[in-house]
Amino acid sequence: MPEIQIPAFRVASRAALGSKTALRSAGISIAALPEGHVIHVLGEAGGPDLAPLLREVTGGRPHAVRTAGPAQWFLVGDEALSAAGVAAILAALPPGAAGVDQSHGRVRIRIEGPMVERVLAKGTAADLAPAAFPVGHSTTTLTGHIAAHLTRVAEDAFELMVLRTFAESLWDDLATMSGEYVLQAADRA
Amino acid sequence: MASLIPCPHCGRRPKEEFTIRGAALERPGPDAGQAAWMDYVYLRDNPRGAYREYWHHTSGCRRWLVVSRNTATHDVTGAEDAAAGKGGKA
Ligand SMILES: [Zn+2]
Repeated sequence: MPEIQIPAFRVASRAALGSKTALRSAGISIAALPEGHVIHVLGEAGGPDLAPLLREVTGGRPHAVRTAGPAQWFLVGDEALSAAGVAAILAALPPGAAGVDQSHGRVRIRIEGPMVERVLAKGTAADLAPAAFPVGHSTTTLTGHIAAHLTRVAEDAFELMVLRTFAESLWDDLATMSGEYVLQAADRA
Repeated sequence: MASLIPCPHCGRRPKEEFTIRGAALERPGPDAGQAAWMDYVYLRDNPRGAYREYWHHTSGCRRWLVVSRNTATHDVTGAEDAAAGKGGKA
């Protein structure tokens, strides 16, 4: 058998949205968030609501615990966790619940401004009115043709969390959806 | 085609978020015989009117639902978690 030659190849960690420049305008702003940690927690079907316990596990940081369908949650934060840090969280889960480290698989984008609902409504049919989608509420929905997990983190700010390979595509879609408000702002300037 | 599906977990969502599996049929017993299984696996009615189907909320909560809709009027009369319909927990 011939010897297999593996060429020298340096593996480099590259931010999924490293090539994108944050978009800022009076009406709408888009920014890539730090690639910190995302842990997917799956509880037992019909089991107890784990959110209170998970909030304790995550130290009560705002929007660290996000619902992701029945008996499922994402634990989210800006800091990258060590293997030991992830293990500590997984160990704190109750029996019957499972956790999966998705930190390298999901990327977050923050979009905010007075036009944020109008921009997102171009992509999703989820009801974004504050009464139906208050601060702290999360859901998974199509944004254009990309499924993304959407959380309202402030009155006029949302976070979209998306599978890593879709991040650039979603960014470009959001920039296009925001275009009219950015241009209006440029006209007035 | 019904265009808005009232997901019991997510609220009203467009059909583009779902994948349709097909008619929600009663599964025959393991000893039901070849004819019953042939029917269950391969044969489908194509009704004009009320229809119950499995829909997967692929781009949402990723739960399987049973959606009741009318193929003639496009009315959606209900959507429930498939596990709940089988006495399971949703
Ligand atoms: Zn759903």
